[in-house]
Amino acid sequence: MNTDKHGLKKNLLRHETILFVVLVAEWLFFDVIGHNFGTYDNTCDILRHYCEIGLLALAMTPIILTGGIDLSVASLLGLCAILFGKFWRDAGMPIPLAAACTIGVGALAGGLNATLISWLRLPPLIVTLGTYSLFRGLAEAITHGVDTFTDFPNSFLFLGQERWLGIPAQAFVFIIATIFFWLLVHRTTFGRSFRAIGFSPEGAHYAGIPLGRRVAMVYVLAGVVSAIAAIIYTARLGQAKADAGTGYELFAITAVVLGGTSIFGGVGSIHGTLLGVAAIAVLHSGIAHAVLPGEMAGMLTGLLLILALAGSILPKMISGLRARKSAPRLAKQIP
Amino acid sequence: MKKYFRELSVAAALGILLLALGIFAPSFFQPQPLLSLVTREAPTLVVACGMALVIICRQIDISVGSMFAVCSVCAGLLAAMHWPLALVLAASVLIGAVFGAFNGALVAGLGLPSIVVTLATMVTWREGLRWLRQGVWVDLPNDVQWFGLPQMAGQWTLVLVALTILILLALAMKHFSVGRFIYAVGSDAEAARLAGIRPRLLTFGVFVFMGALTGLAAMMNTIQSPQVDPNSGTGLELKTIAAVVVGGVAISGGRGTLWGVFAGLLLLACISPALTHLHVEAFWGKVIQGAIILLAVVADGLRTRKQRN
Repeated sequence: MNTDKHGLKKNLLRHETILFVVLVAEWLFFDVIGHNFGTYDNTCDILRHYCEIGLLALAMTPIILTGGIDLSVASLLGLCAILFGKFWRDAGMPIPLAAACTIGVGALAGGLNATLISWLRLPPLIVTLGTYSLFRGLAEAITHGVDTFTDFPNSFLFLGQERWLGIPAQAFVFIIATIFFWLLVHRTTFGRSFRAIGFSPEGAHYAGIPLGRRVAMVYVLAGVVSAIAAIIYTARLGQAKADAGTGYELFAITAVVLGGTSIFGGVGSIHGTLLGVAAIAVLHSGIAHAVLPGEMAGMLTGLLLILALAGSILPKMISGLRARKSAPRLAKQIP
Repeated sequence: MKKYFRELSVAAALGILLLALGIFAPSFFQPQPLLSLVTREAPTLVVACGMALVIICRQIDISVGSMFAVCSVCAGLLAAMHWPLALVLAASVLIGAVFGAFNGALVAGLGLPSIVVTLATMVTWREGLRWLRQGVWVDLPNDVQWFGLPQMAGQWTLVLVALTILILLALAMKHFSVGRFIYAVGSDAEAARLAGIRPRLLTFGVFVFMGALTGLAAMMNTIQSPQVDPNSGTGLELKTIAAVVVGGVAISGGRGTLWGVFAGLLLLACISPALTHLHVEAFWGKVIQGAIILLAVVADGLRTRKQRN
């Protein structure tokens, strides 16, 4: 790994550049064939609709950087949306207090994942598969599958449906979150330690990085961000239901991997994730505007993902063949 | 005893659940509903067996649900064209194997991570099916349901087919060299390669086999009802992975048995009917399912922690 560190860096840069080109091409393509695609209003719409997925993808990036994964974020979004409604309607809390409590619950739920993964050293894939089922199940059990929360005050719905200073109000939350995560991953020792853990947990341990605490941190952060996304989701739709955000975890993971973050950890960036989210969002919105079948968006996302992966691995394969070392080996499974 | 501790403890949990049901809700043990429950789970068992092999081989396949749906719809369409059922079955298995080969080629051939590859194929196949079929249900001719057998006989056939596959695979994993090779590759692909096994070929084979089993399971599901649901198999991947993990197969590969998977699947499958019989709201089923998964891995974690100290 260390021999081609320079090449790796170049590769990374190239991946993001290619993705950026793809994004621009997508935009121009849909602008030409779609109706009202490139307008300012539609841009705001895209921002509005993909804000929650974007938030989840931001929180997912440090997790995948450490070599982990979190399947439970979208289920937690559903649970938090329900609890937010419960706090506000049934417990009679004012909106800000209810929001604060919801974020507290999100942190606790993230803490559950974190405890199991970092303290007991259980595989993240399985732990979060369990909590994926657990959180969604709790949301359904609390609402008995039918109860929804509506009639939120207009001052709250502003967050999800109106514009402030000309851009959708929730975009401000997204921008703040982006800056936070960018600084965390790229400008602090935390970010470096996430990468170190992703490269080699053993090595990171011997380098004096408190493994448990760092790993716990990324999962708790994901819990908090899921709760924030839940509040925004509720404000955007004006209602909270137990099935809120179903399938968002796949979107978020796809966006992160598309953005060039290695699923094995150690490599990746926040700006890559942003591009990944944008590529998916533009694809979905563009296909809807071009009156193409909506299923195409999903199919193309899947194909794009495979192509991105194959593209990232091809240079390595070619150099491997040139070096005539051993045959390409199987990718390791997520620990 | 110690070797099979994990499998036995899951079986014990299942036993306790059944015992509790026997005391508090004897109505659970009526033969007909019980047979229906087991029949419904028979295709899941077949897929779970395949998933166990994939996970023992240190890979994962989350596209099974979508492959299942595609195979179901294809089988339904062929059956509606009055193909003989044996041919439909063969076609369904073949289609599954082709899809599996696609996953396998990307994972074993290009060395891409299986979780991402199958995530991508999961979305692609599911959306592609939706696009082509627009969510239309396939009506089947009358003689397709239960292979044209009476319902009871059809149900027993499916259960026996699933159990036969389970037993054959469990024995093969223990006594055939291919089975031992899968464990070897799952424990350490590099060491296996040095020992003369071809890990990439084997991994490819496991994915193809997973696809073929999914095709078979799809056929087993298709003949249970007069129509084919184009959305069948949604969530199948998580259901089977949960059964495999609860059954004691290590997600890091190389460890676990199919008997454990069988017990795990039965345990998870019994929960929601058990809740109905115990007059608990069905929505708690998902909570309990999640809790069982967590409990199973926490128990594993605590045991290895003890061993470490």
